[in-house]
Formats: sequence, structure tokens, C-alpha cells
Amino acid sequence: MRATLLDDEPRHLGDLVDAAALEELCASVERLFGVPLRVVGVGDDEPVTASPSPEVTLDVSDVEHDGRVIARVVLGPYVADGGQEIDAEAPWVRAKPTAIARIAEHVRSTLGLLLASGYKVFLTSRLHLASVREAGRDLSAKAAELDEALSRLDELERLKASFLATVSHELRTPLTSIIGYSEMLAEGIGGTLTDEQQDFVQTVRSKSLQLLDLIVKLLDLSKLEGGAATPLFAEVPLADVAAEVMTSLAASASKKGVSLDLEREAESPVVMADRERLRQIVRHLVENAIKFTEPGGDVRVSVRVVTDANADEVGHAILAPVRRAAELRVCDTGRGVPEPERTRIFDPFYQVDQSSTREHGGAGLGLAIVRRLVEAHAGAVRVEPNDPRGAVFVVQLPLARGRAAH
Amino acid sequence: VQLDFAAREVAIKVVYYGPALSGKTTNLLALHRRVGEGARGRLMTLETQDDRTLFFDLLPLRFRSGRGDASIRVKVFTVPGQPLHGATRRLVLQGADGVAMIADSRESETQNNAASFLDLRENLRENGLTLSKMPLVIQFNKRDLPGVRGDAELAALAAQGREPIFSAVALRDEGVIETFLATLLVTWQALDRDHGLSKRLAIDGLELVSTAARELGVDEPITEILSRRVGGPIALGSGGAA
Repeated sequence: MRATLLDDEPRHLGDLVDAAALEELCASVERLFGVPLRVVGVGDDEPVTASPSPEVTLDVSDVEHDGRVIARVVLGPYVADGGQEIDAEAPWVRAKPTAIARIAEHVRSTLGLLLASGYKVFLTSRLHLASVREAGRDLSAKAAELDEALSRLDELERLKASFLATVSHELRTPLTSIIGYSEMLAEGIGGTLTDEQQDFVQTVRSKSLQLLDLIVKLLDLSKLEGGAATPLFAEVPLADVAAEVMTSLAASASKKGVSLDLEREAESPVVMADRERLRQIVRHLVENAIKFTEPGGDVRVSVRVVTDANADEVGHAILAPVRRAAELRVCDTGRGVPEPERTRIFDPFYQVDQSSTREHGGAGLGLAIVRRLVEAHAGAVRVEPNDPRGAVFVVQLPLARGRAAH
Repeated sequence: VQLDFAAREVAIKVVYYGPALSGKTTNLLALHRRVGEGARGRLMTLETQDDRTLFFDLLPLRFRSGRGDASIRVKVFTVPGQPLHGATRRLVLQGADGVAMIADSRESETQNNAASFLDLRENLRENGLTLSKMPLVIQFNKRDLPGVRGDAELAALAAQGREPIFSAVALRDEGVIETFLATLLVTWQALDRDHGLSKRLAIDGLELVSTAARELGVDEPITEILSRRVGGPIALGSGGAA
């Protein structure tokens, strides 16, 4: 069996009581009552506690510590005498046995107190030392982790800075010119265009805007990956954010002939989130749902509180209340996501339909951004099939302080 | 656990765990008040000025088995609840045989309870122990305060979970003995499974806990005492959960 710190019991008197102090106690009792007193430890070499001569007595009594005899109190030698309480002047001290018993009791209780204080100090000092060692171990482990994290961050920081600078400058600057000049052409600033020329210029402009959007998303993603975008957390009612986003997307949904609904329950979850980032999550998901839903279909968004607790888990009663989470579900009636694709669609640049003739555009970055953002909020996102057709995107986020507003 | 079959002696270590100020020391003080002279050792508490345990508290208890010749020592430790004393908690948990988790019933403490419980799991792991194998009893203390999780909700949680749950007001001694006896029983049962204690020492777990109950000044049958739990299984026979 493993010996452990606090179970390692002191079993010898000397472990708990200072020998010199004990001698002083004995001397003081002897001065006070005139009866010789010794306190002997019980251990490997048992000291002699037999009476030195048949006419005299030794009073020997046990002192226990934690249920074990750890010492003996030896009073005497004395001659038992029914007369005087104690006569210390005689050649052998003469004393009443009851008087001796009282002294023995006093010594034992005093010694009990000494043992208890000694034990307390013994335990405390052992634990203190061990705590210091443990704390030292913790600190050096943490210092090593921090060192490693720091050098990793430095490297990332360097890479990210150079990448962001390149992308921002080298791609965005020429694109701004392309968009600007094609707009000028379209407005006829460079002379009147034929219908066909107007068409071409409009295509150049809309494709350039699409490209700009892609670059902005890429920058966003790289900022998230590099940890450059530090979220500003505050308590945010999830349903309110969903409602705001849906109001802003209502026009584009109705233009496409897709109905858009929000279901919210009485218990509205409040999450710790960066409001702007949270809006981005909802926006990407709802836009995505509208994009993949045919005219006449519908997109339903719901917000509620769910419990993600497993009754089999040890400590269910303690943990279940904090296993509650806020859930956002975005259900569409589009083509759905086939089983094998359900984790891969959150990878950057992944498209379910990778054929050159696919009907929907996009670079496959929206869901990757959603996943990064959700993870930055300590949440999780997954996709499920909708019944009878379509997909459901489910985002779970921890509730602020494990509570929900009523 | 420390076993000395020659001396017919078993030393069991029970640890009271929980978040800061949840009432672990208060539980120990209440036990100390209730336990008879014959069974109790000196309670050692090391507290600072603001009532917080610095290292640990220790209440050594000693029970003789029903037939008298075996001696059961129970050392009840508390850990310091404040997060900063992680190293001390880890040390106190070394060699623990059973754990009583003392939670604060107030809803505002929900996160702290959970954090402390996860900290328990982590510290057990550091000591090479597994939470799922550790005998565990949960006490929801401070039931008398405003803002506590309701009785019905607590009962529902207890009914779903795997461990015995007790409610308590440790300051008024309520639920303290129940929690301790249940912890002692589930701890004994686990040690019995691993070391065959009952057979080798001729002591029955229920009999031991009944003796402990009498030492704590409770004359009711042990089944009666344990039935006052909010929920969760306790095996009362020689095997299998009730």
C-alpha cells in the first residue's frame, strides 16, 4: 500500500514532544509535589519501569495518543501510606495512593495537551513542506508551458502579420481600382457604352465585389485562426441577436420567395458573447439557409435552453445545472447535407457540390468562419438532417453564469 | 486505507471536499460536538482570521466493531476550498478512501460547486485515483438560506444521479450525521469489495455504521437514518444496490 503524507503517523514520544521541555515538566512537578516523576516513551527499547526495591512502589500509567500507548508516566518510588497526603521529607517519599493518582492524572492530561499540540505542529509542518514542493512543481510546469506558448505565439504573430499585410495590400488595392474603374465605365464617365459593353462591365463589377467579399472573409478567417481578433465578451440575449439578423435578411428572403420565421421560448438564454461575432455566426447560418432553400421553401430559426447532461456521469446533481446550454437551430428545406459531409462542411473551402457546374457560388468559407467563431465562444456547431428535407444547423453556447433570463 | 490484520485495525481516510465557504469545517465541528468521548480524538482545525481553512481540518474518530475486537479508525479531513490552495487539496486527497462533496445549495454557487467538483476529479487523477471508482456522497448544505435550488429540483437531480444526495444545514447539525454515516458506509463497502474486510475482520458494514451512529448519539436504526437522503442509491444488503 502506498504510504501517504498524512497517514504517516508519529509513533514515538520524541516525534511529538521536545525531550528537554519534558524534563523541565518533570522537574517542575517534582518541585511542586516532592514526588519523583519520569515520562518514558514506549517504543523499540522499552525502558525499565519496575520498582527498585520491594518496600517501595512505582506508579506507572499509560499515555495514549490516537488510541495507541505512546508513553508511560512513572511516579515514585514512594511508600504507600494511608496517613499524610505526601511526606517528601522521609527517606522514601511517603504518599497516599489517591494523591499519587491525582498527580498522575494531572501529568497525563498536561502531556495529552503537549502531544496534541505537537501532533498539530507535526502535521502542519509536513504539509507545509509538501505544499511548498507541490506549489514549486506547479509553478515550474506552468512556467515551462508559458515559455512554450510564448514562443509559439511569437512565431504565429510573425506569420500572421506578414500574411495579413500581403493579402490586404496586394489583393485589395488592385481590386479597389478594378471596382472603381468598372463603376466609372458603367456610369458612362468614359463615354457611352453599348448594351453589350454595359453587360460586360456589370459582370466585371459584380464578380470583383464577390472577390472582395471573399478576401474580406479570408482575412476574417485568418484573424480568427491567428487569434488576432480578441472577442469582447458581455452578456447577450441570443434570441435578440437572432431577431436583429433576421430583420436585416427579411428583404433578401422575401425577394427569393423563402419564408423566414423565428421561434423563441419563454426562457430566453443569455450567453457570454461578443455581440458582433455572435451576429456574424447567426448571419452566416441564416444566409446559408436562404441560399440553399428553393423559392417557396422556408427557413425557421429557433432559440432555446437545452440540458446536455448525462445522468450516468458521476456527480450528476452537481454538474447537471451547469450542463445547460443555449441552442440556436437554423432549419432549412434545401437539399440537406449528406451524412459523410456533415463534419467536412465546416472545413475551409469545402463545398458539398464540387462540380464545375454547381448552381450555388461561394468559396466555402462561411461555415468555417462560423465554426471558428463558435469555438471562440466555447461552444459547438453541428449539422443534422431536417425532416422531411433540408438541413438543421445547431449551435450550442454556454449560458452566462449557468442562468437564463425568464 | 491502512490495514493491520494482526492488530485487527483498519484506518480509513474520508475527505470532505467542496468549494470555499460551503461548510466543510462546519460539518466537522458538528460531528465533533455529537460524537462521544470514547470515539473522538482531538479536532484539529487550522483556520485563518476570515474563517477559511488554511491547510486542512482533521477529526480522528475511533469505533470498535460490534463484537468488540476490531478497531476502526476514521480520519475525516477537510480540504481548503479556495482555488489557490490546489496543491494542498491534492496532498490531502492522497490515499483517500471516500469523499463527501459538500456543495452550497444557493443557485448563485452552481458554477463554484461544479468547478470544485471538476477540481476534485482532476486532483484525484493526479493522485492516480479515479472519480468513478471513488465512494462518493453529495451534501447540499445551507438549505436554510434564500436563493437555494428548490427541493423538487434537487430531488429530481438526485433521482437521476448515481450517488446518494443529502440536504443539510450544518450550522444547525441537520444532515451532518446522515452525510457522514452514508459516506462511511459506501466507503466501507468499496474497501470491503477490494480487500474483503468484512470477512477477514468479521465486521458487517451496516453493523459498523450502526455502531458509529450510536457513538454519534443517534439511536434510530441505520436504515431509518439513511432513508432521510434526498435520493440516490445506497446498498443496504450485503451486495447490490437497493
